[in-house]
Amino acid sequence: MTRLPAFLGALRRDMPWPLLAAPLLFFAAFFAFPLAVVLVASVTAADGGGLTLAHYARVLLDAYHWDILWLTLRIAFVTTAIAMMLGYPLAYYLVRVVEARWLRRACVVLLVIPLFTSNIVRSFGWMVLLGRVGIVNETLQGAGLIERPIRFLGSETGIVIGLVYILLPFVVLTTGNAIAAIDRRLEEAASDLGAGPAQRFRTIVWPLSLPGLLSGAVIVFTLAVSAYVTPALLSSGRVTVFSMLIYQQYASVFDFHYGGALSVVLLVATLLLLWAAAAIDPTRRRT
Amino acid sequence: MKTRTTIAAVAAVMAATFAGHAPAQERAITVAWYGGNWGDAFKACVADPFTRATGIRVNAEIGTSTVTLGKLNAQKAAPSIDAAWMDGGISEVAHENGVVEHLDPARLKNLGNVEPAAVYAAGGVNFAVSTGYYAVGIVYNKSKVKAAPESWNDLWKPEFRDAVTLPSPSNSAGVPLFLFLHKMWGHPPGDLAPTVARYKALNAGLYFDASGAASNAFQTGEMIVGAHFKAAAWDLIDKNLPLGFVVPKEGVWATDARLHLVKGSPKRAMAEAFIDQAMTRESAACLAEKLYLGPAVTGVVVDARTAAKLPWGEKGSVKDLKLSDWAEVNALRPRIVDVWNREIARK
Repeated sequence: MTRLPAFLGALRRDMPWPLLAAPLLFFAAFFAFPLAVVLVASVTAADGGGLTLAHYARVLLDAYHWDILWLTLRIAFVTTAIAMMLGYPLAYYLVRVVEARWLRRACVVLLVIPLFTSNIVRSFGWMVLLGRVGIVNETLQGAGLIERPIRFLGSETGIVIGLVYILLPFVVLTTGNAIAAIDRRLEEAASDLGAGPAQRFRTIVWPLSLPGLLSGAVIVFTLAVSAYVTPALLSSGRVTVFSMLIYQQYASVFDFHYGGALSVVLLVATLLLLWAAAAIDPTRRRT
Repeated sequence: MKTRTTIAAVAAVMAATFAGHAPAQERAITVAWYGGNWGDAFKACVADPFTRATGIRVNAEIGTSTVTLGKLNAQKAAPSIDAAWMDGGISEVAHENGVVEHLDPARLKNLGNVEPAAVYAAGGVNFAVSTGYYAVGIVYNKSKVKAAPESWNDLWKPEFRDAVTLPSPSNSAGVPLFLFLHKMWGHPPGDLAPTVARYKALNAGLYFDASGAASNAFQTGEMIVGAHFKAAAWDLIDKNLPLGFVVPKEGVWATDARLHLVKGSPKRAMAEAFIDQAMTRESAACLAEKLYLGPAVTGVVVDARTAAKLPWGEKGSVKDLKLSDWAEVNALRPRIVDVWNREIARK
């Protein structure tokens, strides 16, 4: 009972309020307030007739929305899994194998440069590569590996390829940082005690780098679930993900109430999954 | 102490600078228009001559029609936009939402220059004026399509499987073109199922949201035939791409870009003067040359090369266009988007 007032007292005394004011105001104005507007719209009737849960009923009682939610999550899961599988070895290679510091820096710059380009431009690039008459299909056909072009655009595969490309740097950067922070003396000590390279990796590097890999995975998953531009362009209008449904309601149909309910459902579903992931996080026991 | 003196001096200079500029800042209006070459054309054809004639600066607020409508709805109490371009369809919604002001013929001397049908009125309120028409017809790749398509039905030929494109409902032409074809096929009003079945049988390679995606697909040869905006098609043809534009025998679907006076604008007189400028023959001719917009202003003369690219062609007029009944389109829009998502935009 005494802890709460003590905590509040500490808040009053020690919090650098003048320093916090700017970020708090920014957060309130550009995140909390717009989110509140969406929340309010999702529980109010279109004709101004007070509070209602009708928009949520419309979303949740319709199997179609569950199908689209599952498809969206499936794309995000697969994207995250592939980004982790590609990102970990790449991060390890950059931190542990590349010896020259300038080369390592150059590699990191190469990795980060695409982030400075708009998603739209990068997605258009993939449209050129993955198209029916794109470089990938023409190369495969030229090599005699396929007879008819493979449909990448307008499929889940195309969306996953685009998202992995765009989101991979996040896994490499977080994992790379975690690997770089590992104290090399731990591995030297293990080596002195007779551990081979595989055992050193399994017992030291892997567990200590796992938090970095997992935080990268969380970033990739949340960005993939909410991605709009890449799926919209690479789906060719033949696959619908949840963010596209939300966009349509706000930009084409102007039903902000139904659109708001769709937004909140996606937000809650994502938060529940992240909460579940945190609950089974294998790195938690050690911290 | 020295630092304080410096700060005070800088503050004084800044105050003097801003105070000196204050009267000039008041002589400015904010106009919402589209991005890309459309925005550039509105600036060159309307805003620049307006500023030269009146000394009033024009600040651009760039966004699509729907984004502009969103801003106007949000700023209802204190608008920062004085005049706004929005497309047909969205224009009607803006009027229903009460964010646009009556265009008063007594205050707009050039309103008489415009075709009567291009001044949009409801309940005695002129809520919008057209600044030019544009059309959606059929674009095809001349090197890959042997016989030029003649009808909208030609898009359903089996040889175009996976290489034909139509606009999605997220594109401004998606829903109205769906209804245009629905009527063309003589399907019963209100029963969308037969048209949905036709769309599903199309095997489209691309339902485009942004017209840039369609241009890109035609440019790379990814799509070889489909519906596209005539002006965008001419941009590609002018770059010597092997593309052709066809007016199908059933006609092209068309709409217009409209200018609106924002309700509650504190700079109403200046915004009206801007709209007056847009309704001059010079501005309309300039928009026809830059965007191939069919003029809503009467008596506009353009050269033969531009005339061929107008939505109604060299010898036609606005009467040749199949314009949408926007009340009907907007009423059916939620249903069409919903059925599209469930039936068409799913593999």
